[in-house]
Amino acid sequence: MNKHWKRAGALLLTLALVLGLSCCGTPEQETAPEGEAVNLNYGLSNPWDALMPYYSLSGSNYSRIIYDKLYDRLAYIQADGTCLPRAAKSWESTEDGRAILFTLDERAAFHDGTPVTAQHWVETIQLVTDPACGILGQNSFACLAGTNELGAQAAGETLGAEAVDDTHLKLSFKTPMIPEEFLVEYNRDLYVLPTHLLQDIPVEELVTDGFWSKPVGSGPCKFVSEVSGSTLVLEANQDYPLGAPGFDTMTITVMDKANLLTALIAGDLDYYAFGANVSEENQPAALEAGFEVVADEVPSTFYELMLNNTSIADKEIRQAIDKAIDKTLLCQQATGSLGSAATSSILPDTPYAAPGHGSYDPAQAQKLLEGSSYDGQTYTLACTSARSSIAALLQQDLEAIGLKVEIETVDSATLFAGMSDGLYDMAVASHTPTALPLWFTGSRFTQDNNIFQVQELAPYAKLISAVKAETQEQPRMDRVDELEQYLADQVPFVPLWFSASLRIQSKTVSGIDYPASTCCNENVWQWSKAAP
Amino acid sequence: MKGLLPDRRSQAGAVFLLAMLAAVLLLPLLLGQDPNLTDRGAGFWAPPGGEHLLGTDEVGRDILARLLYGGRISLLVGFASAALSALIGIPLGLLAGYKGRGWEFWIMRGCDVIQAFPNLILVLCLVSLLGPSVWNLILVMGGFGWPSIARLVYGSTLAVKGRAYVEAARALGASDGEILLRTILPNVVAPVWASLPMKVGRAILWESSLSFLGVGLRTPQASWGNLMNGALELATLTGRPWAWVPPGLCIVGTVLALLLVGEGLRKGLNPRRA
Repeated sequence: MNKHWKRAGALLLTLALVLGLSCCGTPEQETAPEGEAVNLNYGLSNPWDALMPYYSLSGSNYSRIIYDKLYDRLAYIQADGTCLPRAAKSWESTEDGRAILFTLDERAAFHDGTPVTAQHWVETIQLVTDPACGILGQNSFACLAGTNELGAQAAGETLGAEAVDDTHLKLSFKTPMIPEEFLVEYNRDLYVLPTHLLQDIPVEELVTDGFWSKPVGSGPCKFVSEVSGSTLVLEANQDYPLGAPGFDTMTITVMDKANLLTALIAGDLDYYAFGANVSEENQPAALEAGFEVVADEVPSTFYELMLNNTSIADKEIRQAIDKAIDKTLLCQQATGSLGSAATSSILPDTPYAAPGHGSYDPAQAQKLLEGSSYDGQTYTLACTSARSSIAALLQQDLEAIGLKVEIETVDSATLFAGMSDGLYDMAVASHTPTALPLWFTGSRFTQDNNIFQVQELAPYAKLISAVKAETQEQPRMDRVDELEQYLADQVPFVPLWFSASLRIQSKTVSGIDYPASTCCNENVWQWSKAAP
Repeated sequence: MKGLLPDRRSQAGAVFLLAMLAAVLLLPLLLGQDPNLTDRGAGFWAPPGGEHLLGTDEVGRDILARLLYGGRISLLVGFASAALSALIGIPLGLLAGYKGRGWEFWIMRGCDVIQAFPNLILVLCLVSLLGPSVWNLILVMGGFGWPSIARLVYGSTLAVKGRAYVEAARALGASDGEILLRTILPNVVAPVWASLPMKVGRAILWESSLSFLGVGLRTPQASWGNLMNGALELATLTGRPWAWVPPGLCIVGTVLALLLVGEGLRKGLNPRRA
């Protein structure tokens, strides 16, 4: 009898445990929309860093594409560089090109209902340029009047951000600035914050405050819930001035890049960033599954080999590396027929395109290396696992001229942190180019962002400033040529290739401007998903 | 061989293993293909043909050469990590079983703690921390594979330590070390031999899993696991079976052969068989 009681007790305990565990649902599950709610499933291959838009550790586009939905930006940038109204209805150049006056959309409001005014924009800029505020990427504001070269407010100077009235924001600059060029270059890093809700937070704690775990913005989507690094649930902002998104909720899920296409085909995703692009070799699978695939007209990705100019201090070694790499073969491996070898970071087929760096010449590379101070040391080449094939080809090219390379496979954030800290000697990285001649070089040769570990920044800074100061096209092209010639001689980085993208057209969501995602913005207010 | 491997299945497993060993050690010398060199003429993803019997991979490297060199790595990781586990597990199991008390408590609780962790995740974390290399893989997998061997030896030691021949050795003045090494060890080690092939098989699978996840070995080093990694791409999975079927078959075949050998050894070393 005693034994039976023990057994019964054990059974009851097990039952209680099972029931108890089965009731332990997450809050997200409890609040998930039911019934006819239209949920848009959005895939992302890398996680975002934090929901504070000025505190992205990696500074990656994966974070920017998330901020784009929660927070509003001044304009919407299309892939060809066309700027369309967003938070700003229009803009004009004033004061001989040294200021831009933005007319803001008076209908804009934060998710808590508070109207967005020019004062919010000014306060946001004041906050993030405050030297005590630990934002990342402060150098994006270095173009504004009243800031130092790091983008922080300069003591005793007036910051170049002024609220003329509730709907007029005036930004003043150190040098003349063409409005469209400002927007193409800086719009993706300029978001308006709900400063009325941040007043009680000490500026030193702004970026890490608990507020960002449930943020309030004024973008086309509102925050619902987040499982950090895994899932983000947003809901449509029905009051967004440009229109309410055509869905109820958007679930953003992080999944391996290799699974995005299969998830789309299987119907687990409606769309994936960036712009549902697909490799040429996977295109037949998409077509077979009944999807339409459209090619971009302009290159959407630029690949480079970052070099550590301190550990590879001899420019002849860097020149040898540049000449040793068969960029055409790399481009073919990575893109099939969708790309072309790069000679500089400037987009081909633009007025500023320059001959730039030399072509593949292993014999010349070997000569350069022999005449250099290379002592047979092994350099570390960092890459993400998705680019290990590229790294293997690079290693072969470099070893063919006698340069020893060891490959380190790391995640994207570690790669950039390692290059910033001087841990790695080289790294393969990709970026989204724009039509501006300084889109790449303009921000990479400053004390704050010296990712190539260049020892002498002054010559670069001088040449870049000369380009920035020139507003007439022909003289500007001449200044760009001078900069490119210096880059070709010094080789602080090696341009590898540009590639265009193939976009799979979603079967379930209409209205998507696929190529614009490369500018880190998506027109979600025009997206529409039919009810199930 | 018949004494140790009494049935045909285990003998077939042993023959397969020997053939595999011979292939990965000798064939690369005969073929003369560099596993890490791109054949620009053949191009990327060349299908199987005259010059490249199993085609080329995404970087234009010969898949057969990578399969054979990768086999060396996979087998090395398997055998070396199993040996390391045995080197740690056998003495600890002997000490726990023979000495008892504090020895028994700490060693067996150590086993409990290690076995309570999800092994793959633990190994994944450690390999990520130590960095990708063959020796780190061996160290981590061997270092965390010993508890099952220690338990096996511990159980057997408990069973034999009270036997008359052990008492006799003690009465003759043998030290604890001599008793453990000369009297107990030979009588408890048979089950370990039987379990080792299975451990080798498991280590090969672990290495394959880690390499498949991208944390196993340093690029461009090949192993059966990271050759399988190529199948992550849909186009490869559906259209290039030559890239992932051969390493898959090698993993399955070798692990199966090791299991058969282990089963045969278990039977062959069983004293009741006679």
